[in-house]
Amino acid sequence: MKIDNSLPLEYSTEENSLKVLGFWIFLGAEIMLFATLFAAYFTLENRIGNGPSGAEIFEISPVLVETFLLLTSSFVIGLGIHAMRLGNKKAMMIFFSITLLLGAGFLGFEIYEFMHYVHIGATLQTSAFTAILLTTLGTHGLHVTFGLFWGLFILIQIKKRGLTPETANKSFIFSLYWHFLDIIWIFIFSFIYLKGMM
Amino acid sequence: MAELFPLKQVLGFVISLVLTAVALLVYFTDMSFSLGMTILLVTAFIQAGLQVVVFMHAGETSDKKSIYTNIYYGVLIALITIFGTLLAMVWDM
Repeated sequence: MKIDNSLPLEYSTEENSLKVLGFWIFLGAEIMLFATLFAAYFTLENRIGNGPSGAEIFEISPVLVETFLLLTSSFVIGLGIHAMRLGNKKAMMIFFSITLLLGAGFLGFEIYEFMHYVHIGATLQTSAFTAILLTTLGTHGLHVTFGLFWGLFILIQIKKRGLTPETANKSFIFSLYWHFLDIIWIFIFSFIYLKGMM
Repeated sequence: MAELFPLKQVLGFVISLVLTAVALLVYFTDMSFSLGMTILLVTAFIQAGLQVVVFMHAGETSDKKSIYTNIYYGVLIALITIFGTLLAMVWDM
């Protein structure tokens, strides 16, 4: 295995570079997945039947907290990658742990939000609007849930094996995934919540 | 300790927070639908770009061209899907 020391650890072999590029291509497909969900959402958002409308069920405070948690976690994992490039394993693990805690906090608020919706009678079966709303939010929430486990396993591996070209590459790819989830949330925040409450 | 907080990323975070605050004007002030949507589109896409460039290091290696081509293609298909759907299903054109 040829290691190019002029590049950061996560790109240091050809295989590593290819894995990063491959993950970007996967993210391209994810963009399109969420595009179909948004397209369906914009089509169905006014078809509320006998159920509530977005303006009636959205609440600004939990949404703001969720936005702040995810935005901060995205920043903190960026610091984690920066620490990784400095070779500072301890700082990196701290930043990654904070990221996962913030992510768990986000998920906690989202679960609370879902329970609230069901409680006030906005379930998957209520109307076309609530169905697509919960599907879109749920798909994002599922990605975050998956990311929490993924990140946890990466932390365990870093602890066991230290910073190697392999673990650095995995951590970097995980950071790409996490930033991507924040990007999707920005669009959910803007075009589902804020647009709905405007 | 300071070396752990690179200026570029801290600035990126601060700008994200400011853009979020600007987007919130849509909720807290009374404005027309088209003005609100314009603000949201601008703030959302700048924030997304910020994430890609500052935090995801998209342009740092020799794969820069492939990565950006891939992002532009993904976004293009996304916009065609969304606006195509809006044209056919919502705007009745």
